[in-house]
Amino acid sequence: MLNIKNVTKRFGNLVAVNNVSLHIDEGEVVGLIGPNGAGKTTLINVICGVYKADSGKVEFNGVDITNKEPYEICKVGISRTYQIPQPFPDMTAVNNVAVAVLGRRDVANMSFGDALLDASHFLQFVGLLSKRDVLARDLTLYEQRALELARALATLPKLLIIDEAMAGLNPTESLRAIRLINRARDEFNLTILWVEHVMKIIMETADRVLVLHYGEKIAEGSPEEISRDTRVIEAYLGEKYALR
Amino acid sequence: MVRIEHKRARIIIRFKNSKYEWTIEPRYWRNPLIAVVALVLAPLLIRDYPNLLTLLTTAYIYMLICIPQSWQTVGTGRLNFGPQFFVGLGGYTAGLLSIHYGFGPLQTLPVVILISLAFAALFSPLTIIAGGLYFSLITLLLPLVFLEFTYVYSGIFRGETGISGIAPLINLGTIRLNYVVLCYISLFMTLVYMLLIDKILRSRWGVLYGAINDNENAANMMGVNINKLKVTCYIASSVLVGIAGWFIAHYFGTFAGVTYLPFTMLIKVLLISMLGGRAQIYGVAAGAFFVVFLEDALRSLGAIHYWIFPIILLVFLFALPEGLWGIYRKHKYREYYPTMRVRKR
Amino acid sequence: MLPQVVVYTFILGSLYLLVSLGFSLISGVLRVFNLGYGIVFALAAYLTWMCMRDFGLGLIPSIILMVAFQLGITYAMYRGIILRYFEREEILLTALILVANIVEQAVNYKYPIIAGVSIPTTLAPGTLDILGVAIPKQLIIAAIVGLIFTTLFVIFFLKSKFGLITRAISQDPQSSLLMGANVTRFFGYACLLSVIPPIVCTLLVAPVWAIDPFMGSSFLMTAIPISILGSLGNLRGSIISSYIIGFVHSIVSFAFNPRFMGLAALVVVIAVLVFKPEGITRSESLW
Repeated sequence: MLNIKNVTKRFGNLVAVNNVSLHIDEGEVVGLIGPNGAGKTTLINVICGVYKADSGKVEFNGVDITNKEPYEICKVGISRTYQIPQPFPDMTAVNNVAVAVLGRRDVANMSFGDALLDASHFLQFVGLLSKRDVLARDLTLYEQRALELARALATLPKLLIIDEAMAGLNPTESLRAIRLINRARDEFNLTILWVEHVMKIIMETADRVLVLHYGEKIAEGSPEEISRDTRVIEAYLGEKYALR
Repeated sequence: MVRIEHKRARIIIRFKNSKYEWTIEPRYWRNPLIAVVALVLAPLLIRDYPNLLTLLTTAYIYMLICIPQSWQTVGTGRLNFGPQFFVGLGGYTAGLLSIHYGFGPLQTLPVVILISLAFAALFSPLTIIAGGLYFSLITLLLPLVFLEFTYVYSGIFRGETGISGIAPLINLGTIRLNYVVLCYISLFMTLVYMLLIDKILRSRWGVLYGAINDNENAANMMGVNINKLKVTCYIASSVLVGIAGWFIAHYFGTFAGVTYLPFTMLIKVLLISMLGGRAQIYGVAAGAFFVVFLEDALRSLGAIHYWIFPIILLVFLFALPEGLWGIYRKHKYREYYPTMRVRKR
Repeated sequence: MLPQVVVYTFILGSLYLLVSLGFSLISGVLRVFNLGYGIVFALAAYLTWMCMRDFGLGLIPSIILMVAFQLGITYAMYRGIILRYFEREEILLTALILVANIVEQAVNYKYPIIAGVSIPTTLAPGTLDILGVAIPKQLIIAAIVGLIFTTLFVIFFLKSKFGLITRAISQDPQSSLLMGANVTRFFGYACLLSVIPPIVCTLLVAPVWAIDPFMGSSFLMTAIPISILGSLGNLRGSIISSYIIGFVHSIVSFAFNPRFMGLAALVVVIAVLVFKPEGITRSESLW
């Protein structure tokens, strides 16, 4: 489904992503892990078109999306959530999701009222229907994350990229968030690329895990293989995680 | 083909694949109807006072400039400090064509629209490459540079005295009838602008413009073609302002850049938007009436009014955080009240 | 023509340093575009004149009084307008434009352009011949003073503790606040410091260039392109762009028409912005 070949991204003299290749098949949940500064968010930004790759190719379902604008990439079927939620602060939650609905490819002439109706379905799915008229800047962190997810889902993506959704959530909220993402995956038939720091989650839910370190891919495989890989252990030096 | 339904105080018209709906509950149309009726009757009531009629028309002209300006602020997400550039452009185009080629007002209008389109298209990349403060500053300088330009080529632009002898908009015989009809024409144009831009801002385009204003990059990631939206908003609103310049030239019969291009004009336009209630379309009406009538009232004080007038405006700017429109109606929590982020890009 | 362009690039560039230094200081540290900056120029000339003519004071006491008054006004503007509306930027910018207009119109009302205001600050009468171009000695002195001032400013901001704190604040006020810097007070210091270069510039240049109530706007119209080109508040960028704009003005004046100076500067700024959207130095701090 998603095919990344030899992508490199430099910022001045700093090579943030160095010759990374990966592929994601349909229906998979792929985890992307690595220490801070490994280039995970940069790689995602390159996939989504925020940064232009210096070299390499990004292909999605056979379409070359390497240097396209972010909104074109969204229409092709890739959606993402942000590490720090970026809602539209002065608009209500339902308006936030309505913007995502109106950005879809298949909505040639949808009226605003219909977009709002569609948006409320997504809000109900993530459990925010009661907060539909609350301004996005007044929502709590968990609610803002849920709003991010609703917005990403409203574009009806085929590939969903989740960028560190658990940061800042307490254990109860994390559990709710994981259940929500799993439900979304089942109901919307999503393929998920999940960037995360919390090892437990990745080890439990991912089919395949990739490890980035200083911009290079150092390991790839199933969660069990990764947990035994010496290079990965070295990179994380001292990081303890539990299987199951 | 066309089906009209009426349910729950709404009229829904279905035409092929699209659906249009309007709410007809009295509380939505009662106040606007009263206001429109009052405005329509006003020129008839004051028809014996030509200076009052001119004041009213001037207020409507300012509204013609400020309403597209408010739309542009939300639609491009940037604060344009030089809307009067297109006033000058429209006015000079209409004036020059009128005195050199004898064009009448209906013939200069298409040319004004074309020239405004051309220049707006020329400047529209600014909305993409220049963000926040850079955009505000560059647009701040544009009208002043235009003014310098007119001084350099004062053979063509007639320098400070400006172009005079422009063909009048209409000529129906008596002066009083002229003034009254011209007032109605400007009122009609203002109502058209208001209706048009209100509909745009309440529709699905409006919520997309709001998204651009709030967080351009997030909107970009969600499939909104921000460049196309920003450029079309800038070009459309600039053309509307150019038409206001056309009206000024043909209404007053003279056009001098020194009246409409420098800082003093910018201040009036900015203040009307701010005092009216920051990007609220109807507030612009309240602000325009306030500013125009205040300036005229102060004019009787003599030369001192040049600096008393901005002081009073400053006091009102500080005292009314939601503008004059906020006195009539506090904005509801869930209504979109745009924050203009000038510094952050 | 070449010697004229070279000499005037140097002279104008050094003068523009004085003009844009204070402006860049406020833009860089407070991140506020002080469109009321022009009043400092006009008030420098007219307040001195008022003290000398209406109060009968000598030149030096007038200047001292004027400086004190300007510092007071700027501090009042800082506390009353800038601090209050720091978060509501559109009101802030509108209020600053209004203040500039009020001061200009008030000055024009009290001393209209025909009043013949002049300030006897000529330090060296006559002209000097450089490379075959006759330059008023006053302008040469002003240019040299501009260079000295800029050097002092740069040394101050690079070497002193005050400068270090100000540079930190210009990069990230929140973090500086966490580190214990009194951000509000340093903002105030920056505003007060920014008043000095324009006063010096006006006093030196007044005998040679005309004084009119709207001179603040003309100086502002030069300071704005310089600041935009110099990345809005970066001192290094402002220094470089002062000379770039000085060059543009010189060459346009001598090769075409002096009245195209403003347009040419604007075109150059927009052209640079197309390739470097954040100005020449692409920096987000004071240096």
